[in-house]
Amino acid sequence: MQHSLWQSVLGEIELTVPHATFVTWFKNTELLETNDELATIAVPNIFAVRQFQVKFADQIQQVLAKHGITPKHIDFVVKTGGRKITSNRETTATHQSDATDRLLSKSPSSSSAKAGSLNPRYTFSNFIVGSSNDLAYTACQAVAQYPGTKYNPLFLYGGVGLGKTHLAQAVGNEIVKKQPDARVVYISSETFVKEFLESIRFKKKGFSDKYRNVDVLIIDDMQFIANKEKTQEEFFHTFNALHQNNKQIIITSDKPPRSIPTLTERLRSRFEMGMPIDIQMPDFETRCAIIEVKASLSGVELERETIEYLANNVKTNIRELEGALNQLLAYSEMRGITPDITTAEGLLGNVRRSRPQHVTSKQIIDKTAKYFSLSSTEICSAQRDKHIVTPRQIAMYLLRSELHLSFPKIANELGRKDHTTAIHSIEKIEKSIKLDMMIREQVAEIRERLYV
Amino acid sequence: MELSVTQENLARALSAASRVASTKTQLPILSNILLRTEGHRLMIAATNLEIATSQLIGAKIVNEGAITIPARLITEFVSNLPKTTVKIKVTDNKLSIKADGYVSTINGILADDFPELPTINEKTAVSYSIDTGLLKQAIGQTILTASNDSTRPVLTGVYWHSHEGALYLAATDGYRLSEKKLVAATKSEVSAIIPTSTLQEVLRTVNDDINEIEILFDETQVRFRISDAEITSRLIDGSFPDYRQLIPAKSESTITLPRSDFTQITKVAGLFARESGGSVTITADEAKSKLSLHSIASELGENTSEATANVTADGQVTLNSRYLIEALNVLEGETVIFRFSGKLSPCVLSADQKDSDYQHIIMPLKS
Repeated sequence: MQHSLWQSVLGEIELTVPHATFVTWFKNTELLETNDELATIAVPNIFAVRQFQVKFADQIQQVLAKHGITPKHIDFVVKTGGRKITSNRETTATHQSDATDRLLSKSPSSSSAKAGSLNPRYTFSNFIVGSSNDLAYTACQAVAQYPGTKYNPLFLYGGVGLGKTHLAQAVGNEIVKKQPDARVVYISSETFVKEFLESIRFKKKGFSDKYRNVDVLIIDDMQFIANKEKTQEEFFHTFNALHQNNKQIIITSDKPPRSIPTLTERLRSRFEMGMPIDIQMPDFETRCAIIEVKASLSGVELERETIEYLANNVKTNIRELEGALNQLLAYSEMRGITPDITTAEGLLGNVRRSRPQHVTSKQIIDKTAKYFSLSSTEICSAQRDKHIVTPRQIAMYLLRSELHLSFPKIANELGRKDHTTAIHSIEKIEKSIKLDMMIREQVAEIRERLYV
Repeated sequence: MELSVTQENLARALSAASRVASTKTQLPILSNILLRTEGHRLMIAATNLEIATSQLIGAKIVNEGAITIPARLITEFVSNLPKTTVKIKVTDNKLSIKADGYVSTINGILADDFPELPTINEKTAVSYSIDTGLLKQAIGQTILTASNDSTRPVLTGVYWHSHEGALYLAATDGYRLSEKKLVAATKSEVSAIIPTSTLQEVLRTVNDDINEIEILFDETQVRFRISDAEITSRLIDGSFPDYRQLIPAKSESTITLPRSDFTQITKVAGLFARESGGSVTITADEAKSKLSLHSIASELGENTSEATANVTADGQVTLNSRYLIEALNVLEGETVIFRFSGKLSPCVLSADQKDSDYQHIIMPLKS
């Protein structure tokens, strides 16, 4: 409608102005909309805007009037061919981890994560579920369904960049969606501490009430509260007040309650009375799914082998995984090439380098020994006390999983003669990791320390 | 219109305008320069519908008025006049110029047909005032890495944007990339791709007498205010690639050496790299504290040039020597830091500490 109208307007104008003028100014113009007040016309550039305003506005108004359209004003705007000034990809960040923050979880201290604000991007629908996090996912959905009754408090813990914040906020968003008047407050424990300190310093009143009048309280990164005794006490009272009134509390942390050493006993027991759930690193298939979804969000379809290559090579956390993907997409966009496996191979060199690769077998043994408060000589000795045997087996397991050493070499590193010892030990730890949470955590923690 | 101006002022303003006035256009008036009296001054303007330039010069106005005159003829004529006062008079679309024995009449076109110069809303525009020296340096350091491949228009300009409270300039052609932090602390938000031709024009127009340059941005245009001259330009439509992903935060090997040494060995190695498209292989040797460049011209011979350098780890990478030379030329300071990780990752060049607001990234050649 607008199009054919504009074409006939153009046809008429073409007859009245010199050809060169018509071609220069009227080509690539478009009538965007008309109503009684305003007609909006898109023109190709800033020069045309001014030219139309001054020279052609009256003429256009007259011709439009002939077609029965009499707007009071005519507005000329520059046509933008998909120019998105605040597009997602342009909110760039200095390095990888920052860049991925915006996709997965805003770091709690960032200024945009103000107290009480949920980020609407975190929803259940864009959380990718795999075997490593389906328990957490289900529990969170249950909480969103029946806040305050099902699992209270809900305690989510797991390593960095695995989706704790995403899930916690998804619960909040879901509750708000269902009951728009529900007061859902999301804060990082750091903010909590800061506000508490300020309330003491400036003798502000009302802090104790601020968080006691909410329906859902989400506290991110609880571990930061651990060594602050007074804050813990304040939080303890807040916790009690909320729990008493059946208000939902969601807490995330990088460790389970009992592994936060400085947490006071009364808080620890309270944290554990609800539902502590751990989120594990996603398995290969889930990682593939994450890459696929994130790539398609950016409007890119990756080949299967590229996805698998990325999933295979980044195993530490989802944030790094997305960092690698973002890097690949940015690189391809800049070079104007398709993001295929060769490009990924060239770039992933960087990703892998982003965590120091030069872990040596000696470092693994030393750090494992140190973790269990043993000496390196003890761990390599012939002693067979239980408190030495398990660490030794863990060290062997890590040598295998991190450095891919051969069994005879592993046995040799730890002063064993027979490589079957190494095979047995590694198998044993592999099995225990699946069954024994304690071992699993220990291994994860040592692994983290290796790459600090 | 009747007025008199000095030959120097008129010649300078005309030559700036004639650079912009377009020669190939369907609209004949665009190859003309606009002369118009503005109060006590004469405005000289031209546009090619991508850029518009205008300049005010002091004049003794007798009668007000305006006219447009073919750019080339008037510019060349005035530049050949002696340095004296030039008298200009317009009658019936004819411009007569008199100066010390030279008299000429040039046929003009009515100024009414000249396109209106774009306006910018000073209140809503984002504006910056930048030291001339800094601006010249920043543009010079980034413009060289912009692309001239018109199939990817967003890369044919320099990307001015605010990021974490600072104003950055960045440009890339897909093979190299440069980033300059121009203003360290700013509250304004901007995201604009300025065409390289505009920036070149800005560089030509600035001179050392001017201390500060004002830059105004709105959604679709940018204006540089250089003393009495103004350059207004469209912005390139589109979004710039998320280039920060590509700047490696860490590198395996970091080499520190005097910039002159690095330039010297690159020049020499480049002589033997003409056949191979400039390809030189750089080897860093930690034990010997040497950086050496190797290039082969299959027919002619080969070359190895080395310089003493502080090397943190061994490594090898192949680069285009021309890119390397250009990068070294725009870096400031005595010492240069060269970082790389293996044969495929981007290499980073930056100056020692002092000028750390500039980074130059070069993609390795696949060897």
